[in-house]
Amino acid sequence: MNTPLRLSPIHDLLQSLPGNWQAINGMPVLTVSPPTTSPLILTDRSCLTRFGVKGANAADWLASQGLTIPDRPNSWCPLPNPSAGIIARLGLSEFLIEDSLSSRLAPQLAMACQTPPAKVYPVLRQDLAIALSGPATHELLQQTCNLNFRALILADRPILLTSLIGVVVTLLPGEHNGHPFYRLWCDGTFGNYLWQTLVAIATEFGGTITNVEL
Amino acid sequence: MKLIPCPINGLRPVGEFVYGGEVRPMPDPNAVDDDTWASYVFNRTGAPGVKQEWWCHSPSNTWFIVERNTLTDEIMQSYLYDEMRTI
Repeated sequence: MNTPLRLSPIHDLLQSLPGNWQAINGMPVLTVSPPTTSPLILTDRSCLTRFGVKGANAADWLASQGLTIPDRPNSWCPLPNPSAGIIARLGLSEFLIEDSLSSRLAPQLAMACQTPPAKVYPVLRQDLAIALSGPATHELLQQTCNLNFRALILADRPILLTSLIGVVVTLLPGEHNGHPFYRLWCDGTFGNYLWQTLVAIATEFGGTITNVEL
Repeated sequence: MKLIPCPINGLRPVGEFVYGGEVRPMPDPNAVDDDTWASYVFNRTGAPGVKQEWWCHSPSNTWFIVERNTLTDEIMQSYLYDEMRTI
């Protein structure tokens, strides 16, 4: 029997969905063809590799690893090509790096941070990572969060640390094919509650669930 | 909805914050007399007015200082603790 190295926090909730399972980054992943038109699409992206680091010297340490870091708190920038992952600055001195499906920068940083210098602290990131997309995304957020997301200036590349249905989340707002596209991370232990609640609301909008787009 | 300005995260609803009490400088426990220490531990200033208070934006765990008029519930300004020393 092959025991997976990692499991999505919502692994059990995805068991009843149709689709094919395959291993990505050591995690069993349900692959579903994304629908061409749907008002709201929820995607589990927990299989992507990510790395967290915090501390007064974290920014200097990341710069010494050859990364360009966001210069403002609560903002993000893309990782160097051809990665297409992101590096997000959470507050003043904490960073989140998430790879794309094709890059492996986060595990390299985790290895490099095995013996960190002073005031650099690696952060274990076993998040539930979700993407919300589609024209009804803002309606879903209106029901679950107190912030006005329509007022955000996407060109500023904002990161929001806020509360969604009572769960602390990190949100990265964006746009894809002319529609809102939000990446969301939360503590994995809240994953089932958050996912089930979002799916329940999304279903009212005629939303659908997919998994990582391959 | 009541809003509080966080110096890092901007204007946010009060539900995202935790109140941490009034800013009260601690006297040196090795040098202070018992009455002063007991007053620091047990007594609080209940009179309304402009006070410096600790607040925490819980989603980002950002602790900062809010200057608030506790009579009118008006917030004057907010800033990080490091900035307080220079004000």
